[in-house]
Amino acid sequence: MSHGHSNPLQHPEVQMASRSSYLAGFVIASLLMLAATILVSGQVLAPFALLLTIMGCAGLAAIAQMYFLLHIDISEHNIWNTVALVMFIPLFVITIGLTWWMFSQLYMRTMPMIPGMPGMH
Amino acid sequence: MLVNLPGPWSPFLGRLALSEIPYTNPILAPLFVVIVLAGIALVAGITYYGKWGYLWKEWFTTVDHKKLGIMYIILGLIMLFRGFIDGLMMRTQQTLAVGSGHNGMPVMGAIHGYLAPFHFGQIYSAHGLIMILLAATPLLVGLMNIIVPLQIGARDMAYPYLNALGLWITAAAVFLIMISLFVGDFSHNGWFGYAPIFELAYSPGVGVDYWIWTLELVALGTTLGSINFLATVVKMRAPGVTWTRLPVFTWTAVSANIIALTSFPCLQVALALVGADRYLGTHFFTAGFGGNLMLYTNLFWLWGHPEVYFVILPAFGMISEVIPTFSEKPIFGYITMVLASFAIAGVSWIVWLHHFFTMGMGPYVSTEFSVATMLVGIPTGVKVFNWTFTMYRGRLTFSSAMIWSIGALFLLLIGGLTGMMLSIPAINYMVHNSVFVVAHFHMMLLCIVYAVFSAIIFWFPKVFGFKLNEAWGKIMFWLFSAGTFLVFFPMFMLGFMGETRRLDWPFNLQWAPWFDVQEVGIAVYVLSVLAFLWLIYVSIRDRAENRVGADAWGTSRSLEWITDSPVPFYNFAMVPHVNHRDEAAWRRENGFSDKRPEKFVDIHMPNNTPVAIIIGALTFVVGFGLTWRIWWLTVLALVVTVLVMIYRSGKGDPGYIISAEEMAKMDRESRQKMDDGHAHLPKGGGYTGGTVTAYSAGAGDSGSSGTPPGNSRPLS
Repeated sequence: MSHGHSNPLQHPEVQMASRSSYLAGFVIASLLMLAATILVSGQVLAPFALLLTIMGCAGLAAIAQMYFLLHIDISEHNIWNTVALVMFIPLFVITIGLTWWMFSQLYMRTMPMIPGMPGMH
Repeated sequence: MLVNLPGPWSPFLGRLALSEIPYTNPILAPLFVVIVLAGIALVAGITYYGKWGYLWKEWFTTVDHKKLGIMYIILGLIMLFRGFIDGLMMRTQQTLAVGSGHNGMPVMGAIHGYLAPFHFGQIYSAHGLIMILLAATPLLVGLMNIIVPLQIGARDMAYPYLNALGLWITAAAVFLIMISLFVGDFSHNGWFGYAPIFELAYSPGVGVDYWIWTLELVALGTTLGSINFLATVVKMRAPGVTWTRLPVFTWTAVSANIIALTSFPCLQVALALVGADRYLGTHFFTAGFGGNLMLYTNLFWLWGHPEVYFVILPAFGMISEVIPTFSEKPIFGYITMVLASFAIAGVSWIVWLHHFFTMGMGPYVSTEFSVATMLVGIPTGVKVFNWTFTMYRGRLTFSSAMIWSIGALFLLLIGGLTGMMLSIPAINYMVHNSVFVVAHFHMMLLCIVYAVFSAIIFWFPKVFGFKLNEAWGKIMFWLFSAGTFLVFFPMFMLGFMGETRRLDWPFNLQWAPWFDVQEVGIAVYVLSVLAFLWLIYVSIRDRAENRVGADAWGTSRSLEWITDSPVPFYNFAMVPHVNHRDEAAWRRENGFSDKRPEKFVDIHMPNNTPVAIIIGALTFVVGFGLTWRIWWLTVLALVVTVLVMIYRSGKGDPGYIISAEEMAKMDRESRQKMDDGHAHLPKGGGYTGGTVTAYSAGAGDSGSSGTPPGNSRPLS
């Protein structure tokens, strides 16, 4: 057990907790997801535009959750959170990027465009 | 919103009905009776000897990382046995069923062999899932749990309660998969699942649901554990333990847990999407309505490949501790060893496509993943050369722990070379889905098992205070190795001869001799299991003769060997002050082995808590309720879980203080109990480099980590 601070309530991580920011993160993320659901179930946009819009919503929701709930930012006093953020970026690029590349190549080979058939490609 | 179920459902019992219990099955019904009788005998025995209070106080509610580690290892060994029985059943089925014509046992409803295909499918699915996630992972997590805090000089993990929670959630997963034997069926779609066969339309039973929730629970438990390990190593190092003085095992634990923390969420998301398909009627992984089958495979292996390195890296760390000890040399190439661990962890993220090279995404993508997969060979090769250079011109002792580690090197070599073959897409297209692949990954996983047995023999005296029997450890090694050779070399052959994996009926009569050899191998494995049980029995019987001192092997190197054996619950009476990477070896060589703390201070320990086991039990209820779609039970268990968490958060847990006088008394008692195991050891010539701090001064617990002591002079 480490006891740099005898009172756990004085730890900086605990000090960062705040009810309003938790609520803000929860509400913003919920609203964005609700918006995405409405857009998809109502088929408001063309398929590709819809795809881009819900991806944007997901990205904003992720940023809101990281900032408001996890307090991940690039400030200096919070070095381990920043390390986590820096670690996240290459992993994000690798997983999403390589998957994207893989599936675009797969679709190019296995799912030829058929005129009149809706699809994501 | 919920899907229409094929079959009956009632609000009170969900899909559960008496007909779901396979009491007519000639294998399961007697097994059930045996297990119930054994359970009654166990409960009666504990009650008769009045041990419930002891079990509850000392084990079920404990937050001590060593006891949690022991429970993890017991859980892992039990599941290793269960997975082995599954393997035995598969081997026997193939031996009996091989050839054309009807050779089945009608009493079992089988046309070929003694298992119907549906039953065989459940066995291989359970075998894979159990061996990787419920045997290998708990064994490794248990060993890391015991050893990592000791190697960095900490009193416990950073979050002792979270540690207990991880164990009991893993135990809930174990209970869930074990209950699927007797209530309903288990999944039959392989341990990693195939889209779209796991969709409700093609697997209408509860087997896939058991599979989903077992995996979700074990993923949750392991993620919690990985957070704890990382926080422990970052924050809890004793004074003097700089990053370059961390033992290699702790480094591999760090790299493995970074992988676990970043990859397990992928699995949880993938399975949540499967759950959405099965429970809510979405179409993520169906062939129609915009879904894509391969998206599941992609997401699964995005976790799955990092996971296999999560299990191999701690095994490498164990080998890295055992070989230097029994070579009487420091590890060769410490820095490259650490870098190689992180290189393996990093590359683990860019190779997952090699699990489905045959998907059809063309040569460019395949080339990238093929090259990335081959890259893994470089850091692994560095490690193998480092181990051999450690042994080169060392003073080797072929103790049982050492021969298990050397055995692991041979398996790593075979598994690694066949892995290099499989990383070439052209070869992969030929042997994809054959038992050649199965034999390859069994070599790698058995490398882990060898390392685990090596580590159990190696660290057993540290935890329990006496050594395991050397002779029986070696007999078990040779039996186990003979079994491995006889089962898996024929499997490589059969793979080249075209046998596909998961075959309940091998139709080709020419394969029959190889199946017979494998069956003999399984029989030898059975002997090795008996040898293991005998090893435990003999060692406990003769424990008085095998008591050890702090330095159990006399040539030990890292920090855990300077504290008493068995390790007292507070780990170190005073937090040690670390002067060298191989602290125990350094103290021995400089004549400080017998140095005890001169004064003691008050220490702060965490309280036991029943909350962890209660939440573990509740997560089991959640999993069971979800599997059988008993909604009231699921919601109730979830609500109670949240209430218990809020209760614990509100209550707070200040822990308790052991006073300095009490510490002095306990330290004296602990030392007296310990045999002077190193009376026969050569003493070092004394240290001439100035004053040395052996234990941290003052309120040692609050010492900041990472600052090297001023007076320390590493041996060079």
